[in-house]
Amino acid sequence: MALSLQKGGNLSLSKTDPSLTKIIVGLGWDERSTDGSGFDLDASAFLLTASGKVRGDADFIFYNQLKSVDGSVEHTGDNRSGQGDGDDEAVKVDLSKVPAEIQKIAFTVTIHDAEARKQNFGQVANAFIRIVNEQTGTEIVRYDLAEDYSTETAMVFGELYRHNAEWKFRAVGQGYSGGLKAMCDQFGIMIG
Amino acid sequence: MSSVSLVAGANAPVPKEALTIEVLLNPQQLSGVEVDISAFLLTASGKVRGDDDMVFYGQPRPGNGAVALKTSSAGRAEFEVNLTTLPSTIEKIAFTATIYENRQTFGAFQALTVTVKNAAQQAVIDSNLPANGMKESALILGELYLRQGQWKYRAVGQGFAGGLKPLAEHFGIEVSDPAPSPAVTPKAAPAPVPQPAPVPKPISLTKITLDKSKPTVSLDKKPEGFGEIKINLNWNRDNAGQPAPKKSGGLLGGLFGGSRSGGIDLDVGCLYELQNGTVSAIQALGNRFGSFNHDPYIELQGDDRTGAITEGEWLRINGKHWTHFKRILIYAFIYEGVPNWAQTDGVVTIYVPNEAPLEIRLTEGSSSLGMCATVLLENINGALKVNREVRYFRGHQDMDKAYHWGLRWTSGSK
Repeated sequence: MALSLQKGGNLSLSKTDPSLTKIIVGLGWDERSTDGSGFDLDASAFLLTASGKVRGDADFIFYNQLKSVDGSVEHTGDNRSGQGDGDDEAVKVDLSKVPAEIQKIAFTVTIHDAEARKQNFGQVANAFIRIVNEQTGTEIVRYDLAEDYSTETAMVFGELYRHNAEWKFRAVGQGYSGGLKAMCDQFGIMIG
Repeated sequence: MSSVSLVAGANAPVPKEALTIEVLLNPQQLSGVEVDISAFLLTASGKVRGDDDMVFYGQPRPGNGAVALKTSSAGRAEFEVNLTTLPSTIEKIAFTATIYENRQTFGAFQALTVTVKNAAQQAVIDSNLPANGMKESALILGELYLRQGQWKYRAVGQGFAGGLKPLAEHFGIEVSDPAPSPAVTPKAAPAPVPQPAPVPKPISLTKITLDKSKPTVSLDKKPEGFGEIKINLNWNRDNAGQPAPKKSGGLLGGLFGGSRSGGIDLDVGCLYELQNGTVSAIQALGNRFGSFNHDPYIELQGDDRTGAITEGEWLRINGKHWTHFKRILIYAFIYEGVPNWAQTDGVVTIYVPNEAPLEIRLTEGSSSLGMCATVLLENINGALKVNREVRYFRGHQDMDKAYHWGLRWTSGSK
């Protein structure tokens, strides 16, 4: 049984599973069950230095830039509706390949076209983020966001970060209004 | 005290006490549009336990009355929600608005407002949902829900374009299709336009519950008699208190479909009195099963002690011979097990052909006595009068005495 974190909680991945190098970060939510425009949620990853910012646009991994230059972070593609079991979107991370200057990788989910569709995270049910050992398929830790959101349109679900020689995972659950653009602003990506 | 304003998707905590939920439409009335405001009591799975978990115009105070539709007028409704008496398996209450027969969408309205008031009648939350552009004809306005021990209210403002049916199904209520409507007015017919005849509401929740506020129903005399009158006694056999998984077949199918794990054996029986003065009883105890086609025209359908029959016990009365009866007292009694009517959750349902089923719950006014005189059927000049009794007695003898039946009782076993 995998560990479940509350908002703000963290776990040492290195200690929990010393052999861990390749992980899958799975993100999920329920498909809309009522009528109206569907929720199109997009997962993204931001590779951040100690300053909490990206080095450049190449550190923003999202549906139009699926893989980091060094190959350490790879987005497996967009799932438009949230249909299907398990993860709706997944990002693969090879911890051994993450450049030393990257201290943190933030995983975010944003609602596409939220303003026009009058949507926010308060209308999305059962959102979660989980870390799976890619080699064994074992779930190591998960965070069910459940209620830790409301009218936000962009959320940091969780983050991987270095702590001394370890990799740790933190359940963040921090929301922003303003969608993906707000998220990019936060992490230093300039949107044209 | 100022209230918190919520937009759709937002939530805020509410005190765990007796709340009032007020729903207001703006404008309050639109010509030709009838809006029904309802509430659904939902378990952790987001579904109802049975059709008793729907609070609406036809059933304003079901179950233990923890959620009740207090007032309902054009464009305005008020619910009383007592969070302290709500059954513990209920973790969410959804408040909905539906447009009768999908004649409009909520886009025709400007806004729908929900106000949550605390026990002191002070507004603690208000949500104003702009309706402009809405394509839905059934809306979840908002929901009270339990989150880590705290009750909260969330403004929702989502729904269905297909009206009440998909909404009810969303909450796990099975909806029968409405009976075909009567003759359609020919399109070519010129003015004057005939007034549309009142049509039954499209959901087959027309079952009538006899309770303290409405204990009696009288069915008019029919020349051909009443056909096969079926009386069902059912109860909750699942002592763990977990709702049984929903099964197909009827609105109450899932509610009572649980496995029979408890030690409670509930029996149905009746005392009858014929016009000629004959008095007797039909019940499994003492093997008095009667007969449907011959005198006394009442038959008990085998006793269910094995748990093989999950639909409870049936008593059939041959209504073709209704004139031959004077009165019939239906009772339920606990043959084995400790009387705990509230937990047993017994329900007696009377099915008369072509009439809405009549339901009498044995939970109200529960007692530690083992015998419950449930319902009295009386022949009033050929009409069938059904009166809810729900009076508790120690046993057959006390009940007999109270109703002046005049039978002599000895102890027996089955």
